[in-house]
Amino acid sequence: MKTRIKEYRAKYNITQERLAELVGVRRETIIFLEQGKYNPSLKLAYNVARALKTTIDEIFIFDD
Amino acid sequence: MKAKRLFLVVSIIALIVAIVLISLEAYYVAVALIAGALIMGHRELWSLITKRKMPPIDERVRENTGRSVRNGFVFFALALAFLMLPFSVGIIEASTTVRILGGLFVAGGVVYLVSYLFYDRAQPKLSEREFKMLKIFLLVAGIALGTFIISIFLHNSIDALFGVEEPVFFSIAVFVSPVAFAVGIIGSLVIFTKGLFSTAV
Repeated sequence: MKTRIKEYRAKYNITQERLAELVGVRRETIIFLEQGKYNPSLKLAYNVARALKTTIDEIFIFDD
Repeated sequence: MKAKRLFLVVSIIALIVAIVLISLEAYYVAVALIAGALIMGHRELWSLITKRKMPPIDERVRENTGRSVRNGFVFFALALAFLMLPFSVGIIEASTTVRILGGLFVAGGVVYLVSYLFYDRAQPKLSEREFKMLKIFLLVAGIALGTFIISIFLHNSIDALFGVEEPVFFSIAVFVSPVAFAVGIIGSLVIFTKGLFSTAV
């Protein structure tokens, strides 16, 4: 799984710390998400997408 | 707030255990305990010092903690079962009580191993009531195991400190805990097996 979280963070000038606060998770979780090392629940994926003012499929890219 | 309270409770328990260990001159164990607690809670501690708040316990942390607890418990149950196996089958000379206890712990280890390996297959087939019962039985077994260890510790401590042959904790350790443990283990095994072999989806 790849993500575009970093790209969107840069677009809105949001730090990992701030995004973690907005979503209600730890900064480490955002790091893991950005690196594609953690598969989030639908709820977390939705919250991240909403915090970055976009949709889940824009942020999370699944390659088969 | 909940995470903060949990952290506080764990810290206080670790501190009390460390003090008891130091008073028993078990310095290495006390140092290991303190080091372990610091390693486990360094993020929380750092966040409390720098930001005066606990980091949230999000789904990743919950998943990791759940997995660690589950792995730890399975390891503990298996280690205990293997340790007690020679007593229960009579390879090592032991009294009937120790043999029964050994047999119970071996059974416990087997049940936890089977539950651990097949939980995902059995759990969806259980009804809400059965799942609640399974949780209660597992909880009873877990509490009985904890009570057993604590009672032995307290019985021996009272004996060592005051020289009194104390009957209450002895009875709990030898009679009450094993019976409760057996009930918990057998009950959970019955429900678990029912779920595992059920054809319902």
